[in-house]
Amino acid sequence: MGGQACVFYGAAEFSRDTDLAILSSADNLERFRAALAGLDAESIAVPPFQAEYLHRGHALHFRCHHPEAAGLRIDVMSAMRGVAPFDVLWARRTTIQTTDGDQYELLSLADLVQAKKTQRDKDWPMLRRLVEADYLQYRPHPTPGQLTFWLKQLRTPVLLVEVAVRRPDFAADVARERPLLALAVAGNQAAVEGALALEEAAEREADRRYWQPLRAELESLRHARP
Amino acid sequence: MVAVEEICDDEWAEWYRLTPQERWDRSQALWPTFLALGGTLDAEPDTQSPFFDADTWRPVPVDGRPGVRVLRRSGI
Repeated sequence: MGGQACVFYGAAEFSRDTDLAILSSADNLERFRAALAGLDAESIAVPPFQAEYLHRGHALHFRCHHPEAAGLRIDVMSAMRGVAPFDVLWARRTTIQTTDGDQYELLSLADLVQAKKTQRDKDWPMLRRLVEADYLQYRPHPTPGQLTFWLKQLRTPVLLVEVAVRRPDFAADVARERPLLALAVAGNQAAVEGALALEEAAEREADRRYWQPLRAELESLRHARP
Repeated sequence: MVAVEEICDDEWAEWYRLTPQERWDRSQALWPTFLALGGTLDAEPDTQSPFFDADTWRPVPVDGRPGVRVLRRSGI
């Protein structure tokens, strides 16, 4: 769900770690444990490898020691702020197959965009690129679903104005949950830019608030570490 | 319609014009070079991550693995 998914959808990140979203059922965690053993992976940070932490939105962190993956870091999550439950993510995932036959399951673009709305600086340019790439690729013949997605998620003022002016009917619908679209329909690019900055600040603050109790829990786990 | 070049530089415009599969393949093709030049798989610390733990980060030489060293350097 991390850097490689971003590359596939149109952003560019040379990410060296591997971020996985997994189903945190007992069966699946056993399979995941076996896969980690195959990579000679060790848990490198709190919390410990227990399902309850995944359910509550924590991430688990591992480092591989297998010679073919030495040093590779794997971060695993099962629940993310504002992101649909795993069964929904799985149902709408993107499956790709490489020329050598390997198969990868990626978060859908919409879910990846949602997962990127964090407090970290680096996620926001990435998020903008992801939606830009999708818009530029599909704008000649968009589906209603794509129009709605772009109006909800575009973060490039000039493109947001373009799509809102071309499809004010869709923009009026989506504006109920994204009021800045009224500015886009009016073609006020400067005001859209300002409203996007406020939108980003609000999301980052929401992410900080979401993580506050989880961070406190991590801190106490670190202090209890032998 | 807004042209791609109006919102990004040529390099990005070229990247956007690739298919998702082409972008994936190009990214994968970087790995052998990165590793051959001494790049490490150990991720850089992400201090803004809510689960950043300084104790889990191991500093590595800035030029990659310890086996990589400068053999010749020109003067400035």
